[in-house]
Amino acid sequence: MFERFTGPARGAVVFAEEEALGLHHNYLGTEHLLLGLLRDSTSVGRKALDRLGIGLDEVRSEIVRVVGEGQPDALDDEDAAALRAIGIDLNEVRRRVEESFGEGALERIAPAGRRGRRKACGSSIGQIPFTPRAKKVLELALREAKALRHDYIGTEHILLGLVREREGLAAGILAERNVSDERVRTVVSELLSGN
Amino acid sequence: MTEATKIAIQASSSDPKVGLRGVAALRRLVERLETLQVKNARDLGWTWQEIARELKVTKQAVHKKHARRRFLAGR
Repeated sequence: MFERFTGPARGAVVFAEEEALGLHHNYLGTEHLLLGLLRDSTSVGRKALDRLGIGLDEVRSEIVRVVGEGQPDALDDEDAAALRAIGIDLNEVRRRVEESFGEGALERIAPAGRRGRRKACGSSIGQIPFTPRAKKVLELALREAKALRHDYIGTEHILLGLVREREGLAAGILAERNVSDERVRTVVSELLSGN
Repeated sequence: MTEATKIAIQASSSDPKVGLRGVAALRRLVERLETLQVKNARDLGWTWQEIARELKVTKQAVHKKHARRRFLAGR
């Protein structure tokens, strides 16, 4: 599904996953895709959002306000104690990992795909399943690209997909701030024609 | 006595709860270490075949588990 995505569009999906992980959410929803777009200040999607007055911090706090943060999945004191009970010193493991890969390396890394777990919608990017609405956004992005006769899917198409999806949290956040598909279309075509 | 020591002492009484908790924590630790090591190997130019050999799994298994994210990340 990601074959025709541009570099920045792929980047936005990776950032979206990072955002979901950062909020300790176990799903990748439309709201994370919106955050993903906002993370790369050079992308067309982000530039359009800048012009529409939508900022990263504001969106992130709105998401936290509406859906909250999940429980962290970090290796905590309880894990350390459980590992010590079977003869493994987590602090020593952490120390050695950090010696090779830098401070916080063990915490920064997100574990890879978990086999045997349910795959929502069959398009997971390794560990977090997409919600049906997030998947819909990507389908709409593809449709937008086709309608514009573009042979790639860029961040601008994902943004158009987000406003057109209508029901997800991202669409709600954008609608509340008077970001209609019409306004997005106008701003995107301005940006694409170099204005 | 620290909390950790208390739990360690409980472990010697073969309490399944503590033992299973240890297994769960170990699994999570292993997953993190694997991701970190695979990423490092790919950054150093290792092929999936070479990585699979060291992990003692098939190339398909390691590719399926780790490749998609790297593809998306544009590498």
